[in-house]
Amino acid sequence: MSVASILDRPGFKRNRVGRALTSTWGARITSYVVFLVFWQLLAMSVARVPGPWETFEFIWKELTGGAHGGVRKGEWVEHLSVTFVRFTIGLSLGVVAGLIVGIAVGSSGFMRSLLSDVLLVFLALPAIIWAFLTVMWFGLGWEAPVYTVMLSTAPFVAVNISHGVRAVSPELHRMSDAFGVPQNRRFRSLLMPAIAGYLFTGLRFAFIIGWNAVLLAEWFGAANGVGWRSRLWYDGARYEGFVGWVIIFITIIFLVDGLILTPLQRRAFRWRRSDAPAIEIEMDHAGFEEGLAVRSA
Amino acid sequence: MATLHIEELTKSFPAHSKGGEPTRAIQGISFEMSGQVFVSVVGPSGCGKSTLLNIVSGVDTPSSGTVTVTQDGKPAVLGYVFQDPRLLPWRTVMQNMLYVSDLPDEEGRENAKRYLEMVGLDGSEGMWPGQLSGGMQQRVGIARAFSVHPDLLLMDEPFSHLDAITARSLREELQTLWEATKKTVLFVTHDVIEAVQLSNRIITLAHGGTVFDDTSIDLPFPRKASDPEFAAKQAEILGRFETMEAERAATLGESVDFADGLGAG
Repeated sequence: MSVASILDRPGFKRNRVGRALTSTWGARITSYVVFLVFWQLLAMSVARVPGPWETFEFIWKELTGGAHGGVRKGEWVEHLSVTFVRFTIGLSLGVVAGLIVGIAVGSSGFMRSLLSDVLLVFLALPAIIWAFLTVMWFGLGWEAPVYTVMLSTAPFVAVNISHGVRAVSPELHRMSDAFGVPQNRRFRSLLMPAIAGYLFTGLRFAFIIGWNAVLLAEWFGAANGVGWRSRLWYDGARYEGFVGWVIIFITIIFLVDGLILTPLQRRAFRWRRSDAPAIEIEMDHAGFEEGLAVRSA
Repeated sequence: MATLHIEELTKSFPAHSKGGEPTRAIQGISFEMSGQVFVSVVGPSGCGKSTLLNIVSGVDTPSSGTVTVTQDGKPAVLGYVFQDPRLLPWRTVMQNMLYVSDLPDEEGRENAKRYLEMVGLDGSEGMWPGQLSGGMQQRVGIARAFSVHPDLLLMDEPFSHLDAITARSLREELQTLWEATKKTVLFVTHDVIEAVQLSNRIITLAHGGTVFDDTSIDLPFPRKASDPEFAAKQAEILGRFETMEAERAATLGESVDFADGLGAG
């Protein structure tokens, strides 16, 4: 009997276990369990794949400063924070550059003809190319990771923003023209909110691509940071260390997405939610005439 | 008081295809309006009504002729009510009002509140436009246009997208608002009955963008459908419309279609 037919059996969903297993949380937990089981089987059958237990044991030691390979207590914090600083600076530069180019390309036909092919070339260049080039240019140090992040994220932001700018309603522009709304207010209240959806899509892409980029650049061109640390364990044939760091940075992506991007996005799109605090008002003609009375008083 | 002076205005748009005739939207319109008047421009679809408003508001430029809005030597402030409300969906009602305001923050809020009250929307300042009905959104649009204290208020078929009942109550409110403020209004509509109900003066444009008729209406407000004088005036204007359509039909050899001129009253 297949899984699907068990799930569809009339009695199954009625009992509590069945409901728990088919709830969204149940499905999510099930996917993790299946993944762990698969991982364990893979580790048992292939020699150079560290199993989940070994890996989590490594992460625990690495994070608590237990005895393994001469790890100092708190060393991971130094690596993580140096990577985070590089990532944040690179991403900020990438987003600002992407915004400027995206708005220019989106609002001017000339800029579009001038830059759209260039943007496509930049989009097609993988982060690893930038990692190699920046190491060649700047050598080992903070520059290679920062510029790799900037150069690989900016085109994604720019392309998304340019699409967003072109989608801004011409009617709202004309309304703003008719009322002579000043440009800075138009930027804040019309352009930015109108492209917010595109900006968030661009940011999500940029975030994931940028995180890859910083790790790659550190792998090849830095003497510290998460990328360098992963390589240290990899070069030492400590594969559980390598996989352990992969898990650490995946967790970080999840955390930043859930704790920063999603709440920001929810705030930016409050106006779309029907459950936003609504005020009941009575619309009638009497109310209108009262209004007039107030006005002339 | 603002004065709008239009002299031999023409507007043509480039031909769609190479070698084709350019489209002539307006062919030599002249009129002047000034002071506390509510002037309606009526005419069938495609007679250049919206183009005229676009030129007056400066969004579009004339092909030839002049349009001047003068205001005691100062540049005139314009207010605009569109067919659709055109509110920023991601800004609250109050923020939408402040978006077009030149006043300092506190004063702007007071002013916006006053005009929202005048259209019966007090208490809705914190709502998103998406939470309001179409009629209420258009009320915000009207309050926004009045709130900038325009010397000249331009209205482009503001009730044409609303259902008949909502449009009727908004028309009555607009009338009350106009009587309280006495702004110089240029109101464009394809609905003759609406024009007769609201205006001091009606300018009828013919197909092809020429002035066919220019009549003033001296009936007191509010104008009720039951008032025989009002009914007579409606009939008179509609009669001229029919004449115009018949003349056109005679030249084109087409059947006459009055549907455009007989919108919901």
